Amino acid sequence: MADAVIVVVLLLVAATATAAVATRDPSRQALVLSLQGVVLAVLFTVLQAPDVALSQLAVGSALTPLLIMLSVRKVRRRARTTDEGGDG
Amino acid sequence: MNAWILAATILLGAGLTAALWGVASGPLSRRMVAQNLTTAVACPSLLLLAQGYHRPSYVDLALLLALLGPVGTLVFARLLADELAVATPAAWGLTWTAAGVSAAVVVAVCAATGPSRAMVKLLVTGVLLIGGNLVASRALQGGFRQVRGG
Repeated sequence: MADAVIVVVLLLVAATATAAVATRDPSRQALVLSLQGVVLAVLFTVLQAPDVALSQLAVGSALTPLLIMLSVRKVRRRARTTDEGGDG
Repeated sequence: MNAWILAATILLGAGLTAALWGVASGPLSRRMVAQNLTTAVACPSLLLLAQGYHRPSYVDLALLLALLGPVGTLVFARLLADELAVATPAAWGLTWTAAGVSAAVVVAVCAATGPSRAMVKLLVTGVLLIGGNLVASRALQGGFRQVRGG
């Protein structure tokens, strides 16, 4: 009974990771990934590893989505300028 | 397992399942609202877990999440502004429900802690959480248009 919270959070991690894989569009995938970062941080907390959870929170909730979104934006902008510039 | 951890389990199971369902399906506006809901569910759960494990230092996690969660939502609101302009998400009922749950959890944990420096930290976390939630919801709903154009 005492491990119920660990089981619940582990199931949430599995479901979130599956959802992240099943999402096709990168910008929507970044939304699921930020959710997964928070769920992983809660898992580390429940497993009594708050130091790991702190770094996971910092990286997972804001930094990874920011990197993905900036990359998607740059790729789209480059594709647009290539289309306008002909063969450029 | 004490009552605090039980409450955290129920909050995590119900809230994060709803957030996962919202973030993995539906239009973009719904996904943004669900992503914003994640912070509002996980942060009170971390407070409840800190109280349940009798480890006041775990409150740092909730404090960091209350700071960084709205930042993440604002990143999405800024970088997806073009797609969000078509259909602005509006879920004020959900926002005020989340704020009410956060306030209830903070008050309960404060009452269990008693007046001390730890209680001041809890109150700061609660103010950051509710304030950040309201700011992020307002940004999603289409506030700060002049900022968004830049």
